[in-house]
Amino acid sequence: MSAGDWLRYTWNVKYLGPAALRINRWLSEYRSRKDPRWNPEYLAPPLRTSFRNKELVGRHWLEGRYANLNQKVAWVTSGAPVEIFKALDYYVLYPENHAAICGTARVAVDLSSEAESAGYSRDICSYARTDFGTLFSGKTPVGNLPKPDILVACTNICQTVLFWYRVLAYHFDVPLILIDTPFVYYEEASPHALAYVKSQLEQAILVAERVAGKRLKEGRLREVARLSKMASELWLELMERNTHHPAPISAIDQFIQMAPIVEMRGDPVTVDFYAAMLEEVDRRIEQGIGAVRNERKRLLWDNLPVWYRLRYLAEFLGEHGIVLVASTYTNAWGELAPMIDPDGGLDAMARAYTYPILNRSTWYKLETMRQMIEKYDLDGVILHSDRSCKPYSIGQMDQRDRLLKEFDTPALLLEADHNDSRSYSEEQVANRLAAFVEMLGA
Amino acid sequence: MAEIRALGIDVGSTTAKIVAVDGWGNMVWHLLEQADPRVDEQVEWFLLSAHEANPELIYYPGKGVEGIPLVATGYGRKLVQQATRQVTEITCHARGMYRETGHGGTLVDIGGQDSKVIAIGSNGEVLDFVMNDKCAAGTGRFLENTANRLGVPLVRLGEVTLSASEEVTISSTCTVFAESEVVSLIAHGVPLQPILKGLHRSLIKRVVAMIRSISFIAPLMLSGGVVQNPAISVMLEDELNEKVIVPKYPQLMGAYGGALIALEMYEPKF
Amino acid sequence: MDEDQALSEGINIKKWNDRKNSNFASFYANMPNENGAIEMSSTLQLSIPGRADSIRSFKANGGRIAGVLPIHYPRALFRAFNILPVEIWGPPGIDPVFGSAHLQAYICSIVRNALSFTQTKSFQSVDILVVPHACDSLQGLGSILLDFVSIDQPVIPLYLPRSGGMNQTAFLEKEFETVYQRLESWTGYSPSQDEMMQRILNEEEADQKLASLHKQRKNLSLSDIEFYRLVRAREFLTAEGFSEIAQKAHDQVQDQVLDGIPIILSGILPEPMALLEEISRMGGHIVADDLACSGRRLYPPGRSQESFLRMAESLLGAAPSWSWGSPIQDRLEHLLTMIQTSGARGVVFYNIKFCEPELFDLPNLRRGLQELAIPSTVVEMDINDPLSNQTLTRIEAFLEMIA
Repeated sequence: MSAGDWLRYTWNVKYLGPAALRINRWLSEYRSRKDPRWNPEYLAPPLRTSFRNKELVGRHWLEGRYANLNQKVAWVTSGAPVEIFKALDYYVLYPENHAAICGTARVAVDLSSEAESAGYSRDICSYARTDFGTLFSGKTPVGNLPKPDILVACTNICQTVLFWYRVLAYHFDVPLILIDTPFVYYEEASPHALAYVKSQLEQAILVAERVAGKRLKEGRLREVARLSKMASELWLELMERNTHHPAPISAIDQFIQMAPIVEMRGDPVTVDFYAAMLEEVDRRIEQGIGAVRNERKRLLWDNLPVWYRLRYLAEFLGEHGIVLVASTYTNAWGELAPMIDPDGGLDAMARAYTYPILNRSTWYKLETMRQMIEKYDLDGVILHSDRSCKPYSIGQMDQRDRLLKEFDTPALLLEADHNDSRSYSEEQVANRLAAFVEMLGA
Repeated sequence: MAEIRALGIDVGSTTAKIVAVDGWGNMVWHLLEQADPRVDEQVEWFLLSAHEANPELIYYPGKGVEGIPLVATGYGRKLVQQATRQVTEITCHARGMYRETGHGGTLVDIGGQDSKVIAIGSNGEVLDFVMNDKCAAGTGRFLENTANRLGVPLVRLGEVTLSASEEVTISSTCTVFAESEVVSLIAHGVPLQPILKGLHRSLIKRVVAMIRSISFIAPLMLSGGVVQNPAISVMLEDELNEKVIVPKYPQLMGAYGGALIALEMYEPKF
Repeated sequence: MDEDQALSEGINIKKWNDRKNSNFASFYANMPNENGAIEMSSTLQLSIPGRADSIRSFKANGGRIAGVLPIHYPRALFRAFNILPVEIWGPPGIDPVFGSAHLQAYICSIVRNALSFTQTKSFQSVDILVVPHACDSLQGLGSILLDFVSIDQPVIPLYLPRSGGMNQTAFLEKEFETVYQRLESWTGYSPSQDEMMQRILNEEEADQKLASLHKQRKNLSLSDIEFYRLVRAREFLTAEGFSEIAQKAHDQVQDQVLDGIPIILSGILPEPMALLEEISRMGGHIVADDLACSGRRLYPPGRSQESFLRMAESLLGAAPSWSWGSPIQDRLEHLLTMIQTSGARGVVFYNIKFCEPELFDLPNLRRGLQELAIPSTVVEMDINDPLSNQTLTRIEAFLEMIA
């Protein structure tokens, strides 16, 4: 890069930006003590570490703004083998994560309309529509998205990303790396499926190296995998702290705190962040502080969150002494921690990326829920029937049935969408939740 | 009255229309009525009325008017046995508007049960079109339903809406859910005008999305029954920052276009 | 209104019901003659055995039936085990209640109907169910059939690779081997490489004849609905049976070309088949298709002498499609070539509601066509809905526009 570029990058990303974000964090912490935004009657104050989350995420997107000046950029799916790209010093961006931020910031509908004006149907995934909206209009709450030098899509979370990234590839005209992970219908993935994934990883490395203009160093990959594993293990521990009564950190809070493990997995700061959060959570446990003040019922949340209604859900449930203790969604990022093996090479990586819960059978998800109900001592399940996420939603009707009949656990099917508030009916949801709450006897 | 040379009948879902044109394609007579589900009876009545207006015409019940070609368009066009030809309302509206204005453009037609946007070329040909025919939320029915529920007479709907200085956002996309949302707002004491304006805004936004999905050709034109609601053209102009042209008889454009197409088939008898 | 009232008002209820039902006079409710065969147009001397007939006669010879869901699968492999694969595209117009008890409303009607179909009497003639993988909904369907919905028949999933590289052929080979092993343990039979190769050659011949019919469709003097009844017979006839009929049709190729406004139909499947009659009535004529059940599945012959590899090569050689993870550019080029060779004047994208893969590709395909001044329109449908006025008007208006 030119001298001017270097100056711009260094000044903004290394000095001005971080300083501004740090000050912002202090202000937020201060303001939060004076005037809590979440209802203090039912809910515990937010974790102090959560302000650091905003700062971290802010820095990540700040880097993104100037990333094209400094390094190669990769746009990846949330289940992609990001370690390879981190080890090659790519700036890694997750369109899904960006879309979730838009959802939380309540600008997703506006962006989706831009995509719809360009001809995209409302029946496609709302994350994709949000992403396309930013693509065509340039509008984004995070300032500016860097252009990708490479696209990486792994089908272990859904098949839709394949079609989504084909559109991105067409739009940006850059190489698309596909990691096609065969769906695990039975208990184990077949040997040829794992071999297939491994060979694709090998291919991926070659392409990534070519675009990056450098060779992947095994030591560096191992280091990144190690950090990734450490962060995932801390995340797992964090979630498992909720086996305590009362649960110290609600799943809704987890939805927000998971940002670093998703988009900065493999960075040292992520390890520090979760270590600090774990410490704070342990202090809460000592003091008997629960995420919900008067914890009476504990629930499991299945599927993606409803990004634009998190506070409403937290307060509604909190009012009745109900806390969302666990979620199959947040669990997905911890569940694989044991499988990440920095010394296991590509064989281990192939396994770790073939076995995420979304790539496994509907029976496996039911079994996972059953184990979580037992482990976390849960009273019920909310199954978010997400219109935009078929792989996660198909099977819920049967799972609901069996949760009730086989495990004697009430389960509510809640129809909504993770990012598109137009597919969310306030009245309907409130009604169903109220009925469910009554059913739980809360 | 000048001699009738061709007829166009538009059998819509809310209204039925007949237009007669002379040899130069000028509109010389028309009728507009509420649509009768018994289409053939209504068409008979129309043709009888045409005969009465122009007694030299020879009319055969069940067969039509001798020597006068008839084009049927609209939702019920296939049920018009007397028609010489059946043509969709897209082609007919484009023809009617082109003749009326003398140029092409983008025509927005918001009917009782569907809405369409038609890109009309400089020779009156249809270049592209998009229809919303699956969902009531983009049609006049959306407003009509809720207006009924609120006890606002349809004729006053536009004026009441325009009198609003504020606007409430209606987030439900479904007509049925929008209705419950509105009822809920009223119950919470939100005044009527801002709600009505919000409802109109929802409809307009949906129409604008349709306009954006095809390449816009200036000028913007409006037809269909909903045009009688002045709020629609005002808000559409506002949303798109384009002047809207409304023809003299916005509800007759389909039948008029049909009559013009029929005229091409007229063969003078000697 | 009740019948007395109707009669007094001069309305013939039976005629009304007949008209309503004729929309469902689809491929599955074929109007057979006494022999169970479908007579084609009088200009073409052709008689196609019906679906039920094909199943019955195969079983009478000691064979078994595999019900196969969309989209791609190795026919020869099943024939090697004396199993006739019979495809299940919907079927349209059945009661979706059962499917709706297990699948949410935003799942497409093909998948929902497939699930509902497993509860019908017709399904009882199926001995084994094959669920290939192609999209999230088919993935989910396969999974719940294995895990939650118990049916009498064994269920075999089949994963189709989409990475586009060399490694995908190797994977598919192995995936076929796995299916072989399952069929082996189910039937107790182990066909040899030679037996399989023989079946492969039969299927390749039938596929070649099918491709030839598509290429020659203008000269076949068959109406659109007749053409699709002919080519879709591949879905349930034996390869040999289909080859015979295809050859007969081919032998009757004429120079005269059917007229009508030439269009291309792109989408998943041409249901309800009554649509094809309507298009003809409106003056249109389908000169080529980009349909997942038809034009997108013209498999070229494989090359290898090793049977599993050969089947994989053949399947992977089909036209570009999202089902193989093809780049949009490839799909567009394929469509443009098709338009050029067929002389089509426009494209009707005939989509199944909620079919996400098609919906992702659509805007760029349409834009690509638009840049070359090729008009297109989009129609969406649910295979359980009768042909709506709205759908027909859209297509009719489009035909008027390009005429």
